Amino acid sequence: MNEVIFQFNQVNRLVLKDITFTLREEDRLIIFGSSGAGKSTLLHLFNRMDDPDYGEVLFHNKRIEQYDIPQLRRSVGLVLQQPHLFPDTVLDNLKFGPSMFDDWEEGRAERLMNYVNLPIDYINKSVDELSGGEKQRVSLARTLANKPDVLLLDEPTSALDDRNIEAIEEDLIKLIEHNRLTVVMITHSMDQAKRIGTKGLYIEEGQVIEYGDLNQLLENPNTDQLKQFLHKS
Amino acid sequence: MERDIPTYSLLLLIVFVMIPFTIAYIYQLGLKKDIIWSTIRGTLQLFLIGLILTYLFDLPPLVGIPIMLSVMILVATFHARKKGKELPYIFITILVGLIGVEIIVLSMWLGFGMISFTPEEVIPMSGMVIGNSMVAMGLALERLKSEFEQNRGKLLAALSLGATPKHAAHMSIKKTLNASLIPNIDQLKTIGLVQLPGMMTGLILGGVAPIIAIKYQLVISISIFSSVSLSAIFISMVMYRFFFNKQMQLLNLQDIKKNG
Ligand SMILES: Nc1ncnc2c1ncn2[C@@H]1O[C@H](COP(=O)(O)OP(=O)(O)OP(=O)(O)O)[C@@H](O)[C@H]1O
Ligand SMILES: [Mg+2]
Repeated sequence: MNEVIFQFNQVNRLVLKDITFTLREEDRLIIFGSSGAGKSTLLHLFNRMDDPDYGEVLFHNKRIEQYDIPQLRRSVGLVLQQPHLFPDTVLDNLKFGPSMFDDWEEGRAERLMNYVNLPIDYINKSVDELSGGEKQRVSLARTLANKPDVLLLDEPTSALDDRNIEAIEEDLIKLIEHNRLTVVMITHSMDQAKRIGTKGLYIEEGQVIEYGDLNQLLENPNTDQLKQFLHKS
Repeated sequence: MERDIPTYSLLLLIVFVMIPFTIAYIYQLGLKKDIIWSTIRGTLQLFLIGLILTYLFDLPPLVGIPIMLSVMILVATFHARKKGKELPYIFITILVGLIGVEIIVLSMWLGFGMISFTPEEVIPMSGMVIGNSMVAMGLALERLKSEFEQNRGKLLAALSLGATPKHAAHMSIKKTLNASLIPNIDQLKTIGLVQLPGMMTGLILGGVAPIIAIKYQLVISISIFSSVSLSAIFISMVMYRFFFNKQMQLLNLQDIKKNG
């Protein structure tokens, strides 16, 4: 069971210095740290939206460069901070990924809309008609449409209000469990981190300060730096 | 019938130049130097071209025409290149594009006997095609850059969903082409209704029968339309790929040159 999915060995890129950690199948890793710490930069190395300058990233024990890039991005899905929907209907957005790989069947739209808790008749709406929360849901569903094994989330709720955040979080937890997804998520909210995550990676100025069991990190931080960070947030 | 404008009456044109100049002066638009300078420069350029053309038109067509076409294409390339300084291979791409377009229209004109291989016919017709193609390439380049700038988020989204650069850029290219071709399509639609096209005006003033002038105009209008479309499509299709690297990652405009 719980096999190693990702292994980062001494990875350097822009601000990132010697990042080393392992991600296992059942992990839901929360990346946190101050603004500019390098969280997004790190997240983009998981699906090769960016590449390290030095060091290696292993995916299923093979160097990540050995995988076909579109296929890799399909199985390691990224949800951006802003929805960035394509200016078409909701359905067009959902089909965007699958149709490139000839992997779309009729029932899938309904299942996806269900996951993200949107009414099925929304699929023919133009994305301009959606609210901010609805757009973020469609963006999530669009990534899920590719049936990823790993889900990368870059502050998926940062553009939303409290009520929307709670609702999306619940749906997110459900669909993660239902699809047995491995998750890497950036968040500024430690409450959200606790509700979703199992592991924690605390970085500052591009360096890993603490890494391990999330509850452990939050309850018993080892470094003064993390203590202060938690105190502030 | 040979028509000519008396040289002294050309001096009256100064009155016309004085109109915008006066307005600029009254409203302090700060264009004064520009207006004077462009007028002098434009006048000198035209007279100079007139002199050179007289000389080149006397050369055997097989010598004169290639020389004139080369000069026109080079000047147009240097000019259009400014709109894509940030992109690699921009000079050679535009050059190849313009040469290609010129070869296509010239073969069509000569092949179908629409015009004869004399400088009097080939040079002005080619000038119009090359000039319009140059403008179209510049427009397409500017538009392509702004599309990529504005749609960064969507492009990242598309790539992260597994799209190839080609697929991800499809929407931006489509919008670029639409925007660069619309003025041209509009012009074609209203041709003859809103304004008598330049070439027809010239021919009619030169004493050619309107019906013949129309035939020439038809040839040139359609040639311009096709070559403008071709130019915009060519430059967009070649250039979009430089916005990405081999790892299918989106580049910043300032990083493109290093990468290419
Ligand atoms: N393309 C780039 N070129 C140079 N520096 C960059 C580039 N992208 C990001 N940086 C820098 O790298 C650092 C880390 O950026 P990153 O976006 O990863 O931070 P972050 O932790 O995600 O911050 P935030 O919480 O604000 O999103 C920042 O200092 C940023 O200015
Ligand atoms: Mg970030």
